[in-house]
Amino acid sequence: ARNMAAARRHKRVAASQPGFLRLKPDLDHSASRIGHKKRVNKNKKKNWNKYSDIQDVEEFLEDVRLQERATGGLLSDKSDDGLFFVDVGEQKVRPDPGAVEKKGKGLKPLRIDLILQPDSQVPPPKDILAYQQPNARKLRLMAQKAEKLAAMGVLPRRERLLQRRRIPGSEKPVANNDPARAFYDLWRPDQGCDVFSDPPPRWQRPEKLNVKPSLLPAVEVAAPGASYNPDFTSHQALLLEAHETEVAKLKAEEKLARQLAVRKEDLATEESVFREQVEGLIEEEEEKLEAEEDDEGTAVGPTAQTEKKTEKQRKREKADRVKLQKKAERKAIDSRQQLFQLRTISAELRRREQQTSVRRTRRKDQQEREKVQPRRLGKLRFQAPDLDVQLSDELSGSLRTLKPEGSILKDRFKSLQKRNLIEPRERAKFKRKFKVKYVEKREFREIQ
Amino acid sequence: MGGLQKKKYESGSATNYISRNKARKKLSLSLADFRRLCILKGIYPHEPKHKKKVNKGSTAQRTFYLLKDIRFLMHEPIVGKFREYKIFVRKLRKAYGKAEWGTAEKLRGNKPGYKLDHIIKERYPTFIDALRDVDDALSMCFLFSTFPRTGKCHVQTIELCRRLSVEWMNYIITLRSLRKVFLSIKGIYYQAEVLGQIITWLVPYQFAHDHPTDVDYRVMATFTELYTTLLGFINFRLYQTLNLVYPPKLDGKGEEESRAESEEDYAMDSERYMEVLLHLFCHSRFSHPCFGSLQEKLFEGLKFFLNREVPRESLAFVLRCFGAQVSWDKSLCIGSTYDVTDETITHHVVDRPSLEKQYINRYYVQPQWVYDCVNARMLLPVEDYFVGVTLPPHLSPFVEEKEGDYVPPEKLKLLALQKGERPEQEEEEEEEDNDDSEEEEDEDQSDDEDELKGMEEKCRVCRPIVLFQASSVKVTPGEAKPVNRQRAEQEAKAEEKRLAVMMMKKRDKYLYDKIMFGKKRSVREANKMSAKRKALDEASKANKKKKLKK
Repeated sequence: ARNMAAARRHKRVAASQPGFLRLKPDLDHSASRIGHKKRVNKNKKKNWNKYSDIQDVEEFLEDVRLQERATGGLLSDKSDDGLFFVDVGEQKVRPDPGAVEKKGKGLKPLRIDLILQPDSQVPPPKDILAYQQPNARKLRLMAQKAEKLAAMGVLPRRERLLQRRRIPGSEKPVANNDPARAFYDLWRPDQGCDVFSDPPPRWQRPEKLNVKPSLLPAVEVAAPGASYNPDFTSHQALLLEAHETEVAKLKAEEKLARQLAVRKEDLATEESVFREQVEGLIEEEEEKLEAEEDDEGTAVGPTAQTEKKTEKQRKREKADRVKLQKKAERKAIDSRQQLFQLRTISAELRRREQQTSVRRTRRKDQQEREKVQPRRLGKLRFQAPDLDVQLSDELSGSLRTLKPEGSILKDRFKSLQKRNLIEPRERAKFKRKFKVKYVEKREFREIQ
Repeated sequence: MGGLQKKKYESGSATNYISRNKARKKLSLSLADFRRLCILKGIYPHEPKHKKKVNKGSTAQRTFYLLKDIRFLMHEPIVGKFREYKIFVRKLRKAYGKAEWGTAEKLRGNKPGYKLDHIIKERYPTFIDALRDVDDALSMCFLFSTFPRTGKCHVQTIELCRRLSVEWMNYIITLRSLRKVFLSIKGIYYQAEVLGQIITWLVPYQFAHDHPTDVDYRVMATFTELYTTLLGFINFRLYQTLNLVYPPKLDGKGEEESRAESEEDYAMDSERYMEVLLHLFCHSRFSHPCFGSLQEKLFEGLKFFLNREVPRESLAFVLRCFGAQVSWDKSLCIGSTYDVTDETITHHVVDRPSLEKQYINRYYVQPQWVYDCVNARMLLPVEDYFVGVTLPPHLSPFVEEKEGDYVPPEKLKLLALQKGERPEQEEEEEEEDNDDSEEEEDEDQSDDEDELKGMEEKCRVCRPIVLFQASSVKVTPGEAKPVNRQRAEQEAKAEEKRLAVMMMKKRDKYLYDKIMFGKKRSVREANKMSAKRKALDEASKANKKKKLKK
């Protein structure tokens, strides 16, 4: 709260400066301000500086200082002669006859400078001590020896210790996509890779991973109709394919539209409206009463029912027993008769075997087909890419005027999806956790 | 209930799979890092057979990985490097936030990095395994080398890709093993044979292309990281098999030239090496012993000059692969060995509609001639590819027609050329410009008849064209035809077959008819196609006639 008050004060002071430009030009600015003067307590120390205007005193003191600087003393203390002169007109300046004219060659050197010049022709002696090094020879020999050793490859002790401290894995790693990177023979029998060349059998690659997820070839060549200068029939065949896919799409759309369209039967006709309005008002009451009477007639007491049922039950049990017996007899007879039905039985068996073999071949074919199809690996299905085809009027017979159709990047991407190497995904949408709320600022609300 | 009862989802497939988020948490990696790790190690998500069991009763679509694969991932040393990198990023961000520049510099100097060598060795234990996977790597490297160097993806990656692709092209040139080239609207497909493996790769055109927004660049960058390492090792091994130095050095002559030209600022210093490598054939003194076959010496002894508007890199590569000498204008790029005024130039590749100044003793061809010659494995007649001539269609060499399929007439012409016969039908058709209409009609009729007969034969069996001469109609004395024994046998067999078919039971005949219907379907379709083509040709002929009459 203290910061806010300080900020507000700052703003107020800034706004009260004479040159301040307001956002809203206040038309009756002076009239409204003059009447409403805030009553301030000038006895508080806080307000001595704030609300006391000493601008006039400051101006006067500045003026006094300026006078002292510029003219040396207050102007009021100066005599008239010092401030004003009588302008009589221009006068020629007469040269003073007493003054000696200075010669051009003139300025002779000072005596003291001449005395201080060195007058001897002998040069000062060289200071050997400045160039002397007591063990220069020793240092020279040491440097030569170090050079010789370095040429042979032996490093001084310090370097050796430093290198021994180096950790093998902490060297600067080489980037993977460096254009000047070196390759070596990876498949040489005794060649070890940098890292992790020989994992233990527990950690080795499982065999299943070496099987490719799809048997499609990596690069599928385009149809002959997609040549830049195709021959008539293959181009027509390609156009036909593209046409059929478009037709299928249109059909799907139409089917959807048809299924969602309003049926003629569902539309309200006058008759149906009338019937609905009149429903329950006429003639159905008699039928209802008859139905109710029938229901009342069929109500029977519980005791009579159970007795009937037990008799029924007994009969039923007997019938069941007889049935079972008959079944057993029948079974015995059948098993004896099977001997004479061998031919039909074998025919039946053969038919069943044929059926199973047919089913087996069909299932195997289905499995083979599935190996080539794009599988459903995630939420989205694989969308086959559009055929790249140029219409007859887009075909340019020359390589120079050829406009390439389709993008190879997209083609490769779709091929990767088709071969089940990656799953089809769509771009992640930006989901907001909280809904955005739009609020107008107070100042802007006041603007009409 | 009792404690000995088996609980659901505690054993079986539910315990063999793990969902992606659980796997990620097990490895304590962020999702981006987890994806990168899976791509680098070659761990792919699996679709379980019974999703409901694996998902513990729920039918939500989740990504599943095999638990054994994730356990295998935990022993990977790169995981530690990823975590180190995350900590490094955090420290760096703090240093920048606190405006501690010294600390930031020190941290940046010690940025953690990782190498993928051991992963390559683990995924491809032998060299041949690696060579089988190189198509994908090549296509990705060539694609990345054409990216603009804006900084969206690391410029170093782009440079590395460029270097590797140049080295690969150099190897193919040295080995002379390019087999097929196909120019499609998407890019150029090349097929070469390396150490017994057939490798196909796709190279984009050098024009500027806009980048699609729905491609995940991080994923592609990770794949590229893996593939550049793989391709680098493969290149090293391939160069070793040819006893060449890797990385390839320029011979003395080449270096001097390159130094001289670098003064004129053709390329940045960093790129100079690669450009020179590509354009100055540095293994000129190397002679591979087995260049015996005619195919590998297709353009041997020919001197080519490429005009400004043709795709220089692709043509230079293809031409050099077959022994030609190539050059281009000096102001285009480093490496032009001779000028346009050189008298010994045999072919000049131009793509303009017309050319003003023409030298006499050289052929002016369009670039498609080169590619078609490579695909046809022989030197095609240059007349069809002159400047300003409507080119014949560029057929795909990757299409193999089976018996009974429709073969376009251009391909048949090509086959005929390969067998050494010149088609005279073309010349007959070109004589339409006669004023005499009767002659025109006669010729047209005979042409049509010949075409029809020819096409029918083609449609039945894929045989080369047997040419018919337009013979005049007259009565000649009969001659005794010698009995061709083989033909007689064949006819007898056919008779027997027909009898057997007649004697079949109704049920069997029904099945037989169905089978034959299916077999003849392709033949019928081929007939339809040829009829369509004929209609188109006739329509174009009619147009030509109309234009002439006008």
